[in-house]
Amino acid sequence: MTDDQLDQRVRDAVLAESLDTTPLERSIRERIRRPLWPRRAVAIAAGIAIIIAGGLAYRAFFHPEAPPLSIAAARDHRREIVNGEPRRWLTKLSDIQSLAEKQGVPGSAIAALETTGYRLQRARLCFLKRQIFLHLVYTKGGEEFSVYLRPRGSDSPFDGEVREASVELENVAYFQTGRMTAVFVDERSRAQAAVFARAGARVL
Amino acid sequence: MPHLAALLRVARRLTLEPASAEDLVQETMLLAWRGFHSFQTGTNARAWLFRILFNAFHGGGRKRPLVAVCGSHAIHARLQEAVEISEALEVLPIEQRTVLLLCVVEGFTCREAAEILDLPIGTVMSRLSRARQELRKSLAPLAKQAYR
Repeated sequence: MTDDQLDQRVRDAVLAESLDTTPLERSIRERIRRPLWPRRAVAIAAGIAIIIAGGLAYRAFFHPEAPPLSIAAARDHRREIVNGEPRRWLTKLSDIQSLAEKQGVPGSAIAALETTGYRLQRARLCFLKRQIFLHLVYTKGGEEFSVYLRPRGSDSPFDGEVREASVELENVAYFQTGRMTAVFVDERSRAQAAVFARAGARVL
Repeated sequence: MPHLAALLRVARRLTLEPASAEDLVQETMLLAWRGFHSFQTGTNARAWLFRILFNAFHGGGRKRPLVAVCGSHAIHARLQEAVEISEALEVLPIEQRTVLLLCVVEGFTCREAAEILDLPIGTVMSRLSRARQELRKSLAPLAKQAYR
């Protein structure tokens, strides 16, 4: 048997095999239509998960969860100062000092805060987390800052360090001294609220 | 879908299992689809597809010891011959079978087969020669019958 004869027999035998490629072709076409989407979806989901995890990690590191009292102060500031709810405010320094003294906040503390370059504008009492606070509004450079003060009680909502946080749209800085619990709020600049709070921490 | 039958025919002889052969061809076509940008227009698309098929076959860990497949029932003499040739093909070493399928059945030249398999042309020619020798031995009784 020559090579040509052998090749012809092999070719005939193999090509005689009947092949129905229709189901295979159908399944290939189906797979071609859908293969990339699951991969893309997985990649997108992984990307979103990484972004969320990164955001949470960043927030945990740089924006620690604010204490409930500072959150309440931020919301009060938004309602009373930013939205300007109609309230009765005391504007005379003597009246404010008298009100402060009645609440156990030394009048000297109010005057001391003014030495930091901020001007007292008005004051009233408010509730934060079911505790009465003296809400003082100071201005500097056309910006209004809320200062919430109350004598230090048995509870310790904050520590002695001046801490900062962002709460919704507000920026808060808070601390506790041997005599006072204080929260400073401003809606424009986190740095400004912290600067005022540090100045306040030195005089309160 | 062009060349699908040829790919499936060769895949069946490589894997010796119809289901594995279909998987292999499916994988080949998907790889070809995804890597279509690597195909150079004007070159031999059929050879390109076979190259993908063989890469997928060897890359997928499908290379395995050969098992002779028995149990085919001959009814007609021609069918008997086809069955015996098929069986003889299946017991050939895979390297020889591959070259034989490409050059003899699918009509590629030795040079094209060498490119598909990424082998020197001399290796392809020697494998083809050995494959023919082995087939002759296996088909000797059949040949006697045919020439009787």
